[in-house]
Amino acid sequence: MRFFDVNCFIGLPTVAIQKPVKTAGELLERMDRAGIEKALVWHVCQRDYAVAEGNRLLAEAIAPHKDCLTGCWAVLPNQWGELPPPQEFCEQMVKANVKALRVFPGMHNFLLRQETLGPMLEVMVKRRIPLILPITGEVGWPAAFDLLRTYPKLRCILSNVNTCGTERQYAPLLAGYSHVYLEMSEFILDGGIEAVTARFGAEKLLFGTGFPRRGHGGAMLALQHAAISAAEKAAIAAGNLETLLNWE
Amino acid sequence: MKPTPIKPTPIRPGSALAAEFWEQGRSASCPVINIHAHPGPVYSGYMPNCRPADMVRELRKVGGRLMCVAPHSALFAPEIGNAEAESIVEEFPQEIRAYMTINPQYPELMLRDLAGFDKKRHIYVGFKLLPDYHRVRLSDRRYQAVFEFADERGLPVISHTYANSPYNGEAEVEKVVARYSGLKFIMAHCLKANWRAAAAIARQYPHAYLDLTAVSGQWGAVDYLCTHAGSEKMLFGTDSPWYGLHQAIGQLLSADITDDDIHNILHRNAERLLNLTDSEG
Repeated sequence: MRFFDVNCFIGLPTVAIQKPVKTAGELLERMDRAGIEKALVWHVCQRDYAVAEGNRLLAEAIAPHKDCLTGCWAVLPNQWGELPPPQEFCEQMVKANVKALRVFPGMHNFLLRQETLGPMLEVMVKRRIPLILPITGEVGWPAAFDLLRTYPKLRCILSNVNTCGTERQYAPLLAGYSHVYLEMSEFILDGGIEAVTARFGAEKLLFGTGFPRRGHGGAMLALQHAAISAAEKAAIAAGNLETLLNWE
Repeated sequence: MKPTPIKPTPIRPGSALAAEFWEQGRSASCPVINIHAHPGPVYSGYMPNCRPADMVRELRKVGGRLMCVAPHSALFAPEIGNAEAESIVEEFPQEIRAYMTINPQYPELMLRDLAGFDKKRHIYVGFKLLPDYHRVRLSDRRYQAVFEFADERGLPVISHTYANSPYNGEAEVEKVVARYSGLKFIMAHCLKANWRAAAAIARQYPHAYLDLTAVSGQWGAVDYLCTHAGSEKMLFGTDSPWYGLHQAIGQLLSADITDDDIHNILHRNAERLLNLTDSEG
């Protein structure tokens, strides 16, 4: 099975984690050891330091590794011109091999809604650029629901969805919006892969590890032995994400 | 003739144990013992595998030998109490043993259950405490009867432990393990996430153990605990049906520790703690 990890990061977080991975090279070494072929990666400076600087650091880090590392930049409301205008920003993404965006509205002090990010979100809908929503500690469920009600065609990946009582939160979004996906780095509910596949379809799940906050092996072994078909496993492991990132 | 290239094992290259778990989902040499599980539904979320039969099926998939359970009903519905625990063990006597859950908010029920414990040793391996949820500190006098009972008999007591909790944080755990050296105190969740304190307590007190439930997913935590407390003090738990067994085993295989450490964690330590012989299930 080929694995394409939708959720991993590099860099040293302000608040240390047990085993951070500072560079793209270190990340690739651990991916190679675990048997993970490709990853969609972000840089922790995008969250902890400053978005534009973090985006630049990520682009530099992944540039030599285009075959296996794809970038995920962070985005901000642009009323103060902190980032280039949306179209220009998207062109920079293409040049830097960045195929998805993520937001940190908690840490970065903004409301995730039309009035703040509207122009960027409209471009993302038009160009089919996926937006990763880290739910736990950042976006929260009410903002995710409101965002999708306003932008029902936005490609959204629900990320950092932990298993403690979130099933009733994400299920309406998977059921109600055809472009909403769930990444499984913290979605480790016993029988969860099978349950989501049966009720919403394997196309809704994306393999993710949360590395290096979490290890690679949990999501890998859970998917390897999930009671679903080989085709469904392959789609979750890599195929769904490859399709989603093919928006250029 | 060119040698056939060895197929690298995903997750943990070069490990025969990982290769077995990857290819077959189980290892013949590693009869997993899950020391922390909670059958039955619970208020906070939907759980597809919460029926005891589902949980036993999942245990068999990983080549599991035994799981020790405290049903959600025992944790949260005092009027049902431990009744479901007893019926589950009677239904699956080969694969399941129970903890007697103690809710000190109801001392009369606790004393009634304790009085019946010795006649039900085929059901119960020890006691389960949930101080954060029952809102009673571990050092509260209402827990005294169960600690004395377990201490006299050398029984395991597994308690929810979390860092900085006034009910089951570092200070409360240390008070109990310092006072009662006859019982076997299992720190569920290893004082998440004060690994340093958890390791220090496990190292200092021979009767203190670390339960990795919801810990092994934090990459590096298992390595730290192994280095500072020793794999002989660590036990495998999952909170099933919250977390899946393959997921938890996969996280353990991701740790930078030896296969021997993993055997200790997945079954050997629990075999010793629960006095399981080779023929016992």
